Amino acid sequence: MWKIVLIAFLAINHCNAVLEADANTLVLLDNLAIRETHSIFFKSLQDRGFKLTYKLADDSGLLLSRYGEYLYKNVIIFAPSVEEFGGDISVERLAQFVDDGGNVLVAGSEKSGDALREFASECGFELDEENAAVIDHLHYDVSDAGDHTTILTSAQNLIDAASVVGQNNRKSDAAPLLYRGTGLIADKENPLVLKLLTAESSAYSYKPDSSISDYPHAVGRNTLLIAALQARNNARVVFSGSLQFFADDAFTQAVQYAQSGVFHKQAGNQAVAEAISQWVFGESGRLRVASVQHNKEGEKNPPEQAYTITDPVVYTIAIEELVSGKWQPFRANDIQLEFVRIDPFVRTFLKQTKGGSYEGKFKIPDVYGVYQFKVDYDRVGYTHLYSTTQVSVRPLEHTQYERFIPSAFPYYTSAFSMMIGLFVFSFVFLHFKDEAGVSAGGKSKDEKKTQ
Amino acid sequence: MNRSSKIFNSKVAGYSSLITFAVLLIAWIAGFSSRLFAVIRFESIIHEFDPWFNYRATAYMVEHGWYKFLNWFDERAWYPLGRIVGGTVYPGLMITSGSIHYLLHILNIPVHIRDICVFLAPVFSGLTSISTYLLTKELWSPGAGLFAASFIAIVPGYISRSVAGSYDNEGIAIFALQFTYFLWVRSVKTGSVFWSAGAALSYFYMVSAWGGYVFIINLIPLHVFVLLIMGRYSPRLLTSYSTFFILGLLFSMQIPFVGFQPIRTSEHMAAMGVFVLLMAVAVLRHLQSVLSRNEFRKLFIVGGLLAAILVFVAVVVLTVLGVVAPWSGRFYSLWDTGYAKIHIPIIASVSEHQPTTWFSFFFDLHILVCAFPVGLWYCIKQVNDERVFVVLYAISAVYFAGVMVRLMLTLTPVVCMLAGVAFSGLLDVFLQEDASKRVASTTSSLPETEDQEESLEKKSFYDKAGKLKHRTKHDTTHESGISSNLKSIVILAVLMILMMFAVHCTWVTSNAYSSPSIVLAFHNSQDGSRNILDDFREAYYWLSQNTADDARIMSWWDYGYQIAGMANRTTLVDNNTWNNSHIALVGKAMSSTEEKSYEIMTSLDVDYVLVIFGGVIGYSGDDINKFLWMVRIAEGEHPKDIKESDFFTDRGEFRVDAEGAPALLNCLMYKLSYYRFGDLKLDYRGPSGYDRTRNAVIGNKDFDLTYLEEAYTTEHWLVRIYRVKKPFEFNRPSLKAKDRLIPPTNFVSRKNLKRRKGFIRNRPTVIKGKRTLK
Repeated sequence: MWKIVLIAFLAINHCNAVLEADANTLVLLDNLAIRETHSIFFKSLQDRGFKLTYKLADDSGLLLSRYGEYLYKNVIIFAPSVEEFGGDISVERLAQFVDDGGNVLVAGSEKSGDALREFASECGFELDEENAAVIDHLHYDVSDAGDHTTILTSAQNLIDAASVVGQNNRKSDAAPLLYRGTGLIADKENPLVLKLLTAESSAYSYKPDSSISDYPHAVGRNTLLIAALQARNNARVVFSGSLQFFADDAFTQAVQYAQSGVFHKQAGNQAVAEAISQWVFGESGRLRVASVQHNKEGEKNPPEQAYTITDPVVYTIAIEELVSGKWQPFRANDIQLEFVRIDPFVRTFLKQTKGGSYEGKFKIPDVYGVYQFKVDYDRVGYTHLYSTTQVSVRPLEHTQYERFIPSAFPYYTSAFSMMIGLFVFSFVFLHFKDEAGVSAGGKSKDEKKTQ
Repeated sequence: MNRSSKIFNSKVAGYSSLITFAVLLIAWIAGFSSRLFAVIRFESIIHEFDPWFNYRATAYMVEHGWYKFLNWFDERAWYPLGRIVGGTVYPGLMITSGSIHYLLHILNIPVHIRDICVFLAPVFSGLTSISTYLLTKELWSPGAGLFAASFIAIVPGYISRSVAGSYDNEGIAIFALQFTYFLWVRSVKTGSVFWSAGAALSYFYMVSAWGGYVFIINLIPLHVFVLLIMGRYSPRLLTSYSTFFILGLLFSMQIPFVGFQPIRTSEHMAAMGVFVLLMAVAVLRHLQSVLSRNEFRKLFIVGGLLAAILVFVAVVVLTVLGVVAPWSGRFYSLWDTGYAKIHIPIIASVSEHQPTTWFSFFFDLHILVCAFPVGLWYCIKQVNDERVFVVLYAISAVYFAGVMVRLMLTLTPVVCMLAGVAFSGLLDVFLQEDASKRVASTTSSLPETEDQEESLEKKSFYDKAGKLKHRTKHDTTHESGISSNLKSIVILAVLMILMMFAVHCTWVTSNAYSSPSIVLAFHNSQDGSRNILDDFREAYYWLSQNTADDARIMSWWDYGYQIAGMANRTTLVDNNTWNNSHIALVGKAMSSTEEKSYEIMTSLDVDYVLVIFGGVIGYSGDDINKFLWMVRIAEGEHPKDIKESDFFTDRGEFRVDAEGAPALLNCLMYKLSYYRFGDLKLDYRGPSGYDRTRNAVIGNKDFDLTYLEEAYTTEHWLVRIYRVKKPFEFNRPSLKAKDRLIPPTNFVSRKNLKRRKGFIRNRPTVIKGKRTLK
């Protein structure tokens, strides 16, 4: 009995372990008031098991790692106006933190400080100029003060990735999102930047209280409101131009389009913010390869040395997804397998056999060499799944060729007839020699004999 | 009288066989020991490049057995193409040392396979000198044979390929070559099927051992052809050639690497044509014996012409149809020395494929190169069937040796033989008097020509006596008179020359040919001490200990076999240069900028890059000096991306200093060679970054590597290894300051060691009793 208890305990402990590893989160704030103004957001994080450590961004005792071990798995920076982080933390340290696999959630504002700008450019985007805000003269909330910076953007403008923004938040009847802050500009060259939320096409980003003298940096849908970076090591960074987006006010407030008058009881912010926080801290959209197996068709294990050309081969990969703290089979129908030797020789879709297990069957090409089974599954909102397995493909062994081929029968015949002929000839020749001394009569006799 | 002469004869025969035996034994021992310089100075180690592959293959065969070896698919070479070793190698060498290993282990002599490999070539040099003796004996006389055997035992031209540790095909192939020729000459002489079958068997061994077997299969038909032209057809020739050709053809096709080449490539067509011709001649001869003279003459002319035209047309048609492959590039480059340079840079890039300089003829052959025409002249003057052979051998070998340094090796045996003939002829003349006295035959001081016309037996007899240099010398000194003085002077001079030859051979062997080339030695000019540079093995050992087992290492192809042999890691290209485009890809990666070559390297899954850099110690065989060949080879396959002219300055110079071409100063090879070299000061007075090999201060000193990082550099910077960064190490493409739309504010940090507090703008200050502003 106690064994079962122990196992159950271990199992519970184990799934908690996934969360606990993710749990330590450093929250850097401009002032401690933000803790109160954003309490719903922080509460939801704490409810999900995150252990939040609140610190002022300029605290001289800030420490990200100790003795080479990171103290935190995630960092939230809700300190828009920080010019320089205190203590051990700097932009370089933060970038290093991301390179070592840490996740960062940053919120800026119209008055973002230098530290945030530098960190943003490390991640491949920029915050618009100081005091610039996203302005939309058509889609602003009734609560707007008159400069049309408290804008509403439709849920349709969220990125089309359920794992990032949640299942239901992007539906056509979802509430619009309330936003007040600066715009972001993404580096067009950077393939890793995701545009999580853009403004409506009528929006632009500029200083609201000055007349427009030059073309705004961000116009229309190019005005990014929330941007994300999933680095190549699958570390995630989310950058929001608005701290207000995560505030309690924005979560609870009723919204109404000032122009069209469409009314929603509650802005969509809370659900989206929670979904995004789940994504950025690796609670959703995480895939992993559970197992890879390949073998010759009809066999159990991979060959000891190498496959032989034209072998039929079966490749099986099991992929799992992290769903609410547990690894569960991942289901998709667009996973491709490549069989690569510099160039792919075979490219095929994998068929799902049972939950989360995908299988591909094909014939190895008639070219020997060192190949790789390569599954490269890169979808928006999911971690980059990349699995390569190297195998050798050898040519036929000397015993594996056909021994008798029909087209060679004339040669076999000629060889054997030659052998027989030689035997008969030498027999006759020797026999003839014995009687050579006699006369030609012996010869005719001999001929008769042979006949 | 008769009886006493018999006794005398048998006595002489006893002496002569004793002398023969002694001389051959001494030749063997001398040849063996003079090849041991490398082992004594360094250690029992495999040398250079190709031997490392041969050693690795042999070790594999000994470990896994013959059939595993035959089917060995080497996935560590030519990544990701792989190499079928069993089908792309001449297995004779591995089989030879493998069977020696097997035999010794049966006799409970536990020798490591490496030692067998190291000492195989010196041991076989003794067999070579014996077979040279046999061949020369067939051609001229036993005395000349002994000379030739002694010469070939120590001549540098052969030693260069057969020192201890030089475990290469040539080491055993020269023996096979000489032995095949001996058996062939014997079979032509006797017309016996036995000897020609023996020749075919020996030819089979040669085919299994070395690609140079093509030389045999062209020279022997040439011999037959010339004999036919000279009207020296005989049934003996018919028997020996047809036996040899048929058996040799069948045997040679048993080697997997050769396969169907003997009936499909142009290199082998001559043998087939001559076979047909010989058959035709035999038929004509038979008809001649049957028909009348006039009928026959007509038939001969018409038939001969028809046959010639038929053969020619058949060969041309087959070549055009593609049944017979045209001559390979390597073969073309034998005829047109400029061919390789234009069309196949990879062949031209090998130093041993360069044309031979006059200097190296003397260096490798010394006095023999002077005596050799004399011997050739003797042979031409007293020509017979087998001497026609040696004349052809000499002429063709001289030509080929002039084309390629490497083929000096095939010239060396024939030079030794003919020089042996020459020296033997010389001593015939100048030792003849006292020898004739003892036998009491004709008067002394015969003119040379008359002397040559004496019977063969007698001559050989003189010669045997002539070998006893000391005694004969002693005898001649007792002689009084002008002629004997002259003789003794000449003989002394000849002996002097031979002694100097021996000295020269030893000197060349010890200084030029006994370096393992993976361990370098240099003498310190100040105190004369000898320093050992073991950088290569240091680097390879580092690789084997510090990299993943399946790590792929990119280097120029020269080092492929060594990396595979010593570090046991996967290489992209190696010395078996079978795939030009793959090598060109590596050349392209080396000669492109870092960014472009990173693309190539990731597509080839390269983990490490290894370059050889000699700038610190002044080692001239490094990668920068080979670099133009990489460019040329890359240009051959990728003419759009790589242009050789980009790597020269405007004045057409190849230089690494500040005036060097920008393409050169920024290519990967340059960066990998000179990374951090700009900071290195070799001596106190000189400037930093001074390259000793090229005697220049490098042009691009201050640069950083983006896509690679230095992993290891050996003690003398000879080998530098870099790790290629993986894509995920470039985690996030950050936005460069200059690309930003909003200019950075140039915030100046206010933090210092003591004051660790950060800075928040517009920080709300809390004033008691007041509400915070929103």
